[in-house]
Amino acid sequence: MFQPLDPLLHSELRLAVMSLLISAEEAEFPYIKEQTGATAGNLSVQIDKLSTAGYIEVEKTFKGKKPCTICRITPTGLKAFEDYIQTLKTYLNIGK
Amino acid sequence: MEENMNMTAERSLEIITQQIAQSRRAVSKVTGQSLFISGICTMCMAVVIAIINFILINHAIVGLGHLLWLVLPIIIWIFSRKYNKERAHAPVDIVSSLVAKTWSTFAWFVIGYFIIALIWGFVAARMLPPESYVASRIEVTPVIVLLMGMAITITGHILKQRWLVIFGITAGLICFVWEHFGMGQTIVLFLSGEPHLSLSAAAGATMLPCLTIFIFALVGLMLPGLMLKRQK
Repeated sequence: MFQPLDPLLHSELRLAVMSLLISAEEAEFPYIKEQTGATAGNLSVQIDKLSTAGYIEVEKTFKGKKPCTICRITPTGLKAFEDYIQTLKTYLNIGK
Repeated sequence: MEENMNMTAERSLEIITQQIAQSRRAVSKVTGQSLFISGICTMCMAVVIAIINFILINHAIVGLGHLLWLVLPIIIWIFSRKYNKERAHAPVDIVSSLVAKTWSTFAWFVIGYFIIALIWGFVAARMLPPESYVASRIEVTPVIVLLMGMAITITGHILKQRWLVIFGITAGLICFVWEHFGMGQTIVLFLSGEPHLSLSAAAGATMLPCLTIFIFALVGLMLPGLMLKRQK
């Protein structure tokens, strides 16, 4: 019997954002947009969803005079990502 | 990338692998660029200082050009800001953070040691008789090459580049012995066939530490930087 995958992470863009943040301490919005190839609007919506779930924290700051949005993964997000990977392994029949 | 909720497990795995690899590449490129710029600046500085020392020794001033090493961190910072525009958005990962911390620690130790040696040299030259001054003088280059060898070795471990680890250990130790026991000067003296260094031989000897630093910067900073920048 397969466990259900976390619906919040089981979306291409949200999973890509989490995967990017997992290997970095923090990342700026333009970087995530560039790496995922998503539109700014769509990315903002998905980041909001992840932030509301407590998976990432979003810091709005300024770089000189320009506004700058920095995203970083939270311990809750890290745990959710680990659980997602564990569940994914059962689907792929690896890591028994 | 769309909000596709009907992904297969394989597609999920593909996205995770792809994004992590992509992120690592971007970070490696930025780290590589920083190392490359630091290497180029250090090599150029070594050449400039060697030329200055060569000119000054003709006016009986020995090694004053070495003071310019103190400006090197500022020059590296200016060029890094100018030529590393990708850094503006690139994230910080554990690898780039460790490499940066290794080299900033190296820089702090070198600057501190250099200043202590300068102050002691200034005080000792005025307080001690010449023979005691020579014996108590703090030699800068041997310790710097030893620290540099250590920083290169740690960088090699972090980047998982065995050749860099081997180079750091062997070059650091060999160059320490070379500089500490003044082997370069001994060879120059031996080749000149005179009991004391002539002016031209002394000029050549003052340039040897710059040559050592030049080689270290080439192999320890510039080449790994280039390698990281070109990593596919």
